[in-house]
Amino acid sequence: MNKMGFAISSALLFLAIGLSCLFVVDQRQFAVVYTLAEIKEVITEPGLNFKLPPPLQSVTFIDNRILTLDSPETRAIQTAEKKNLVVDWLIKWRVKDAKQFIRNNNGADLRTAEGRLGPLVQAALNEEITKRTVKDVLSTDREKIVQGVKERLLDDAKTFGIEVVDVRIKRVDFPASVADSVYSRMVSERKQEANRLRSTGAAEGERIRADADKKREIVLATAYKEAQILKGQGDAKAAAIFGEAFGRDPQFASFYRSLEAYKTTFAKKSDVMVMDPSSDFFKAMKSSGKK
Amino acid sequence: MNLSFLPLARLTAWRDRMFNQPPDLDEIWRDVNEKISRFFGGGKKTDKQQTHQFGNTPPPAGNDGGSQPPIPLSAKTMGKSFGMVFGAIILMWLLTGFYIVQEGQQAVVTRFGKFKGADAGGITGAGVNWRLPYPFEAHEVVQVSQLRSVDVGRNRVVQTSSGTNANGTTPSLRDSSMLTQDENIVDVRFVVQYRLKSSSDYIFNNRDPDEAVILAAESAVREVVGKGTMNTVLNEKREAIAGDIVKSIQAQMDAYKTGILISSVNIQNVQPPEQVQAAFDDALKAGQDGDRAKNEGQAYANDVIPRAEGAAARLREEAEGYKARVVSQAEGDASRFKAILPEYQRAPQVMRDRLYTDTMQQIYSNVTKVMVDSKQGSQLLYLPLDKLLQAAAGNDPSAATTAGSAASTPTTSASSNSIPMPSNPANAGRSRDRDAR
Repeated sequence: MNKMGFAISSALLFLAIGLSCLFVVDQRQFAVVYTLAEIKEVITEPGLNFKLPPPLQSVTFIDNRILTLDSPETRAIQTAEKKNLVVDWLIKWRVKDAKQFIRNNNGADLRTAEGRLGPLVQAALNEEITKRTVKDVLSTDREKIVQGVKERLLDDAKTFGIEVVDVRIKRVDFPASVADSVYSRMVSERKQEANRLRSTGAAEGERIRADADKKREIVLATAYKEAQILKGQGDAKAAAIFGEAFGRDPQFASFYRSLEAYKTTFAKKSDVMVMDPSSDFFKAMKSSGKK
Repeated sequence: MNLSFLPLARLTAWRDRMFNQPPDLDEIWRDVNEKISRFFGGGKKTDKQQTHQFGNTPPPAGNDGGSQPPIPLSAKTMGKSFGMVFGAIILMWLLTGFYIVQEGQQAVVTRFGKFKGADAGGITGAGVNWRLPYPFEAHEVVQVSQLRSVDVGRNRVVQTSSGTNANGTTPSLRDSSMLTQDENIVDVRFVVQYRLKSSSDYIFNNRDPDEAVILAAESAVREVVGKGTMNTVLNEKREAIAGDIVKSIQAQMDAYKTGILISSVNIQNVQPPEQVQAAFDDALKAGQDGDRAKNEGQAYANDVIPRAEGAAARLREEAEGYKARVVSQAEGDASRFKAILPEYQRAPQVMRDRLYTDTMQQIYSNVTKVMVDSKQGSQLLYLPLDKLLQAAAGNDPSAATTAGSAASTPTTSASSNSIPMPSNPANAGRSRDRDAR
């Protein structure tokens, strides 16, 4: 029994020691093996690994995946034309040299590293943006800014033992106070546009009206002209006919026409005639028939 | 590493073996079986044990110990009950290696934390699968074919600058607001849909790849919008914007090896921010108003011009009518004159007298007459002309009717009617012309 108990306990002891000597390095991790608090070895390949039991050697793991650092705070940056811009950025980074990383970071904590990285990126970005105008930042020079920040970060990244995979500019905006004035500018631009649309519409409408009036005048005048021509033609033809007929005996024609005209002139009872008996009509009245 | 404990050396050797040549499943199985049968003493029932599950069979009494590393040759006395328990434990342990992968999922298998590689069965599809149990291998299940989607540009108000708007009481910039090239602000909201193209990349290369999609999308949309002016962003190029965003996000995803495939970007909303929405609406309305003014002008033109054309046609027709009438009247008058002329020429004096007398008769019989013999006396004659006119006017209707009805000579009355016609309508026509002008 005694012997048996000893066997079991010694087996368990061996097992415990054996297990403490083994560790698994995940695909996503680096393992850093410390020998008495000194970095002994960095294992970058995943798999099963071996170390001395705890008091002698210990192991720490560091994430080797790509990590994202979002800009912790947004601060307005002045551009070349003295406008303020709020620029949000993010960087993609990963631990590359674990030994270097731990030495410069006072440990394997990623958070402290990010805390130190943030201001560096912000500073690099500030320097790049201050050189440029808003338009450059917004559209044309985005790539250049990113490239510039990356280059500025190269040295720091090396000392930190990290790799900056990518730098992205996320949000580029005016500060809130400026945004309000941007809005009012946009409103005024819209007003301008609205007025332009309204007045050009009205002008166009007026033009169409005037054009219609003009066309009407032209149409009427042309018609009048044609009508007058026609009437003239009629008058001329009538005159020619009269001339031809009355020209045969102008004297009689004039007499005949005069009589006709008298008839029409004095046709009503209301026409009052003061007559003199000496007129031809009353000749017979006076001379009583004899010649 | 120079310390040479016995177990340590053995373990190192074992580690190396595991490392250099990953153990074959069959080999392990055979190994285990062999060890168990040896543990049970290689007795009479070995055949049964091999075909059957070993836990069920009662092990024989005699056994000379297993060769499991942690248990050295000390279990002789434990007998068959110990063997049974041990076998059961091993069996249970092996059973933990089974796992189920649902349809649309994949499992990524790691051996001692190391990805086995896609070729070596590191990625398994749907169904029941087996891997080495716990300390050796592990698996992670990933949704692969499922379409994931993420909204970008929610109504969240963001803190825009450290000092001015920290309290957040005056929300001014939304998460979806962004600047265009011409320094205007637009709101863009969209949904990114994506799925995985490589589950191992998805797991191993990035911490929180889904968050990476959101960030990449936010960065991409601002990049794309920042390159366009407000008008192009708002009006013209929605599809083009979506395409550019997809490209940009995908490029970032590929650069980080996230194993994510962006399948689509659906732009839900591109609009001016609500602070200026009213002005934009008004500008739209202004466009409509302008069109309305144009249409009204056109309506006026459509009303006026055809009318004018109608009036013109009337003028022309009337002129035609006038012409025809004047000519016809002239012809009529002329032929009447021509007809009477030969008679006149036959006896001019007689005809003259007759015509004169006839005419005067007709005239005098119609009008109100006052006969004054001026040669009889030179005294002043009082003529109450106004009274006469009044009387004539009072009698006029009856006189006219009597004159009309009592016209004994139809020829003269007809001629008297026909004469006024040429002059009056002509005057009327001219005055109408003047009106029309």
